[in-house]
Amino acid sequence: MNPRDDVVKNYRMVPEDFVKHLFSTLAIVIVVVLLASILFNLPEKQPLTIKGYSTAHPVQFEEVVLRALDGQGQIANYGPPYNHGTGNVESFLQQWAGILHPINAAQDFVIKPLKMAESLNPTIAPALKTFEHASKAQQALWEANYTKALQHATYKNGIVVAPPGNYGPLPILLNDALALGKSGLYSGALIRNPKVITRFDNQNYVLFLQGTPLQTDPATQSMAGPNWGIIHPAINGYPGAWWMTIPTWIYQWPFVANSSASDALALSIGFLFWLALALTPWIPGWNRLPRYLGVHRLIWREFYKNQPVDTPPAAVEEGGREHAS
Amino acid sequence: MANWTTASKRMLSEVMSAETWLPTEMPEYAQGFMYMLGSLTASSFVVLVLSGILLAMNGPDSWSYNSAMRFIAAVHFWGVQAFFFFMMLHLWRVFFTGAWRGGRGLTWLLGAIAFLIAIPTAFTGFLINGDLYSEWNIVQAKDGLNAMGLGWVNLANSGQMFGMHVVVLPLLLTIVIALHITRVRTKSVVPPYPNVKVKGQTEKGGSAS
Repeated sequence: MNPRDDVVKNYRMVPEDFVKHLFSTLAIVIVVVLLASILFNLPEKQPLTIKGYSTAHPVQFEEVVLRALDGQGQIANYGPPYNHGTGNVESFLQQWAGILHPINAAQDFVIKPLKMAESLNPTIAPALKTFEHASKAQQALWEANYTKALQHATYKNGIVVAPPGNYGPLPILLNDALALGKSGLYSGALIRNPKVITRFDNQNYVLFLQGTPLQTDPATQSMAGPNWGIIHPAINGYPGAWWMTIPTWIYQWPFVANSSASDALALSIGFLFWLALALTPWIPGWNRLPRYLGVHRLIWREFYKNQPVDTPPAAVEEGGREHAS
Repeated sequence: MANWTTASKRMLSEVMSAETWLPTEMPEYAQGFMYMLGSLTASSFVVLVLSGILLAMNGPDSWSYNSAMRFIAAVHFWGVQAFFFFMMLHLWRVFFTGAWRGGRGLTWLLGAIAFLIAIPTAFTGFLINGDLYSEWNIVQAKDGLNAMGLGWVNLANSGQMFGMHVVVLPLLLTIVIALHITRVRTKSVVPPYPNVKVKGQTEKGGSAS
């Protein structure tokens, strides 16, 4: 017989109510899904907000703001598609795609929100003016000094207090940022777009929190990369995106996990897995594997019961010519 | 070269025929639960589209302040779990039965493409939900897209993700699923392997093919 076909042709057709079959499967899914929805509802977990984070971790919040201001934050030095940084560039494709969603972390994450708050809080304007009129070297010195000082800072009476030192206007500015954060207004200031009244783009809000705040949040730890990331839900006990198990597994491979281009590697290898799946019919050997595995004998158990086991292939094909549907 | 109109007419006659879509008999081997998995996957997709229309009509954050919409969002959530669950079982069934045989390679390829498109379709839905899972996966997954030069897909842009999840990806997925099912109906489901012994198996009688 033609090895390309490799199929029996001597089978019978039996009566079938196809419409009933379709409505039956639909009914099964509706019942299962409704039952699951009634019993388990939704696995929603409260997101991390700037208000929540700045209230719970005021000193760390000021550290986040300071890292955005001094260019040491992850987004400040990320690279394309946000800026010319180099901290997160994994491939030439990333460079080639260019800067599509520009972010100047110091301006967009700190200075602009503070300028918006000037009219509400008069202490901001002179401090901001002092900072902006200082030389780059002076700003860098204040930032370096205050970065160290924040490690010993405490939170008292609603403000962060650092040991005395040469910080310029930074303590005032960062406590103003803290007040803005605790008020809940910071997020709105981050995603403001004066050209439109809609707020579809939450980029700067989410990316502001993407470093320490989200990475150290106890609620995200079960979803972290080394813990098989995305396949886990935010609430234990619920299913996550378990269909991403293979890419998540690839992320665990040591040479991928330890690479500075782990995302590019994991996704590329994952795509090769998909390609192998998609091209299965045309991959010699692999496309004959199921026959050797023999699972089909269980699936077609009833059919094979009534089939002569030792029908020579030629006879199968002859029979098929007579009975093929 | 063959006449394009004649060829199109022949193809359309088959694709648009009630005989193709409403068969009254099936091959004897295509019976039982194993042959419900594709339909169960398609049925889950129907449930997803219906619950998704209700969600789209009311807004992606309506679950957060309206208990009826919260229930619809739950139906949508469990619908996607059912969709992938049945799709995965269907994938195992078609793999173990070598469903690409007899000129059915394109049917298999379309199914694989549907699986590939289904992943970002589901993912963009998780992103517009607005809870911690959305927030976490936006910041985690953006690095992968950026690294592959796909930075124009801005996961933190809810408007873009809404459009992707509600229009672009489901439309693509619907087309690919429709083509996949059309191929299944026109080519029929793959017949069993010939019942002969193959190397490495221990069934009685027969010769290796």
